[in-house]
Amino acid sequence: MECEIDERWKLVDRIAEETVTYGDGKTTLKDAIAELTVKPLTGLPIALAVLYGFWSFFSAFAGFFTDGFFVRLFDNHWLPWLQGVFPGKGSWYYFILVGDPAAGNSFEAFGMLTSGLFVAIGIVLPAITAFYLYLIILEDSGYMPRLAVLIDTLLHKIGLHGFAIVPMILSLGCNVPGVAATRTLQTKKQRFMMITLLAIFIPCGAQLGVIFSLIPEFAGIILLYLLIGFIFFGFILHKVIPGKSPEILIDIPPYRTPSLENVSKKLWVRTKGFFTTAIPFVLLGVGLVNVLYLGGVIDWLAEALGPLLTTWFGVPKETVGPLVAGFLRKDLAVAQLSAIEMTKYQLISSVVLVNLYFPCIATFIMMMKEGSERGVRGVLEILGGSLLVLATVLFIWGGLLHLIWIMMGVA
Amino acid sequence: MKLLLIGHPNVGKSVLFNRLTGANVTESNYPGTTVDYTKGYMQIDGEEVELIDVPGTFSLDPKDKAEEVAVKMLKDNEDSIVICVIDSTKIERGLYLALEIIEMGYPVVIALNMWDVAKDKDIEIDLQRLRELLGVPVVPTIAVSGWGVKELVSKIKDAKPRDISKIESKVEGTS
Repeated sequence: MECEIDERWKLVDRIAEETVTYGDGKTTLKDAIAELTVKPLTGLPIALAVLYGFWSFFSAFAGFFTDGFFVRLFDNHWLPWLQGVFPGKGSWYYFILVGDPAAGNSFEAFGMLTSGLFVAIGIVLPAITAFYLYLIILEDSGYMPRLAVLIDTLLHKIGLHGFAIVPMILSLGCNVPGVAATRTLQTKKQRFMMITLLAIFIPCGAQLGVIFSLIPEFAGIILLYLLIGFIFFGFILHKVIPGKSPEILIDIPPYRTPSLENVSKKLWVRTKGFFTTAIPFVLLGVGLVNVLYLGGVIDWLAEALGPLLTTWFGVPKETVGPLVAGFLRKDLAVAQLSAIEMTKYQLISSVVLVNLYFPCIATFIMMMKEGSERGVRGVLEILGGSLLVLATVLFIWGGLLHLIWIMMGVA
Repeated sequence: MKLLLIGHPNVGKSVLFNRLTGANVTESNYPGTTVDYTKGYMQIDGEEVELIDVPGTFSLDPKDKAEEVAVKMLKDNEDSIVICVIDSTKIERGLYLALEIIEMGYPVVIALNMWDVAKDKDIEIDLQRLRELLGVPVVPTIAVSGWGVKELVSKIKDAKPRDISKIESKVEGTS
């Protein structure tokens, strides 16, 4: 036998009446903190403090391992040793695996076993470990949904209820689970918007890590420009795409003390995921670009795309190599860009470009997978739609940055 | 025999799942962490039983893709026992979902999770009365610490399908 919704609620009420008594409920310390972190007046300063805390923690942690340990290990020991013992200096395989035989540091050698390993292990690994650790603590404590409430007002204006912050924050770790998390959004429109915006504007943890490690002085401006782009294009997509963006009410969970067990378990799972999926891709990325260099493809691309890159985006044509590597790993692309000689404005532009253009291959596959639930048509819709938006955004937002530099007289 | 973990978002289903199976499903303190189902295995009286961690759902009338997965899991596993996980501090809405599942004819065990938070908030729940009215096993648990999980496991075999009209008449009879 089934009953109607109202009847069922009545039954629930009767049962609860008989079995549950609500006491006065003392205001606990957790409740007090909960209040302070959601009210804008106190919440915003707290959010800034949390971000600042992240920054300090990140610099201390990643700096300690990267500069204090890995740079020395790779530059003073690994690189000279490899350059000394590896046979076939001047051959194609030496170029692919070790890179420049005269390079004085692992970063500029550009070989799979030199730059590839150094970027993956020396830079990205400490960076994402620090990043994930902080993120996991924020997740498990219950601070994240409160941050969502704060940002809610802003996101509301672009038609995304604050809950979309969960895919956004997951994307800051890696875009792949971010795309999966859009399943909690209700309509096709919401999902399409969120997936597209994520893939274009939200840098992943590895990419952020490289930015924070190698070009920390520009991290603020790069992220701000991407954030404004996210909001601006989010607003436009909201206007242009037909469909609804209904409200989603979410529960704010209570604050909890993160358990050491769960934090370490999650950190381990995510870092392990990095080892098995990211490192091979970084090495593959370096290898691919080197092979393409040897085959003359990169030079050919640089010549072909040169005019577009220099006149429209205002970046040197040498950025083609890293941009190609970016298909596989964006963290690698950023690292390679920072080794190319250019002005700081060009560097900012090119890092923004790496972010905006084509999502990395793993995200791309995940997007297809999400679309495939609605058959071939779903895949075409999500890919066609997203790529169209992407191309438009790339040209407008990438070009605009160049225009800003021109107006400032620095480009 | 199959077991399904069903409940609202962020009531601790994944934590319970990890406790029961020793698996490593991601747990977070916000709703919507689990968007797809995960299977695992546990032992009950020496018998290996499949346990499925289902994405959180507010009702059996799905509003998003993650909830669709939950409803589909129920329909695809008609012979399973449902462990309905309820947030003890928000018992009414949890009961609503539990009643929906009972109406569909599934044997149900109720885990009143976050029992500690309810205690902190001075919420008193008359377990004995609740068991009487519902006619299904009700076990208080604190999944994050593991408290009550053993008792929950021991009650799984007591779960039987319950006619909703019996619950109604029980409730009527007492007022």
